[in-house]
Amino acid sequence: MLPESKPANPAVLEEYSPDGVDLTLIRWTLSLTPGERLQFLEDRINEVLAIRERNATT
Amino acid sequence: MQQRRLFAILRSLCQSDIEFIVVGGLAAVLNGAPVQTYDLDLVYSREPNNLDRLLKVLGELDAIFRIQPERRLRPNHSHLAGTGHLNLLTPYGPLDLLAVAGHNLGFAQLLPHTVEMDIGEGVRVRVLNLETIISIKEYLASEKDLAVLPILRQTLRESTRRPR
Repeated sequence: MLPESKPANPAVLEEYSPDGVDLTLIRWTLSLTPGERLQFLEDRINEVLAIRERNATT
Repeated sequence: MQQRRLFAILRSLCQSDIEFIVVGGLAAVLNGAPVQTYDLDLVYSREPNNLDRLLKVLGELDAIFRIQPERRLRPNHSHLAGTGHLNLLTPYGPLDLLAVAGHNLGFAQLLPHTVEMDIGEGVRVRVLNLETIISIKEYLASEKDLAVLPILRQTLRESTRRPR
């Protein structure tokens, strides 16, 4: 039996749009709640700022 | 130290009953678009009571104009009552306050095109919907705006196909 989340339409399985957009990434972000999207963005910002700070002092 | 910078600003505004709409990159993120952004763009209501409350919160957030941070210039009531963009800096990061967005669309015009979202801890914010974000970026048509349009359009397509 197929997993419930597996789309029935094979076209949905495309990984990239014709203009090169990663559809798997979009599907993943759409699977999150708005609160989780905000938290993920903030985590990424914090990580980037930490890397910048670390490299600015070395 | 890990900080929730964006959340902190949004929570402060909500706790003070400020009428605003999240627009720009963060609105795209909250709608599910995988894009990165560092600032927070908000269109606010220019109703006098809202301006009074907003000015008070900006003081509490220690917001200053970003153009010359060393001068620590603070926004005042007339700045907020105008039609321009206020590019501010707070200890929680950049905060851009817009009287209007796109084709001179103010808070009242944008409000029907928003979705209320729960961003955690009971904080609920009004977020511009993806269709209108795309429409505004198509209207503005700067290179920066055009560059992100393919991702926004595909996100809209996928979200329509697989509604949450």
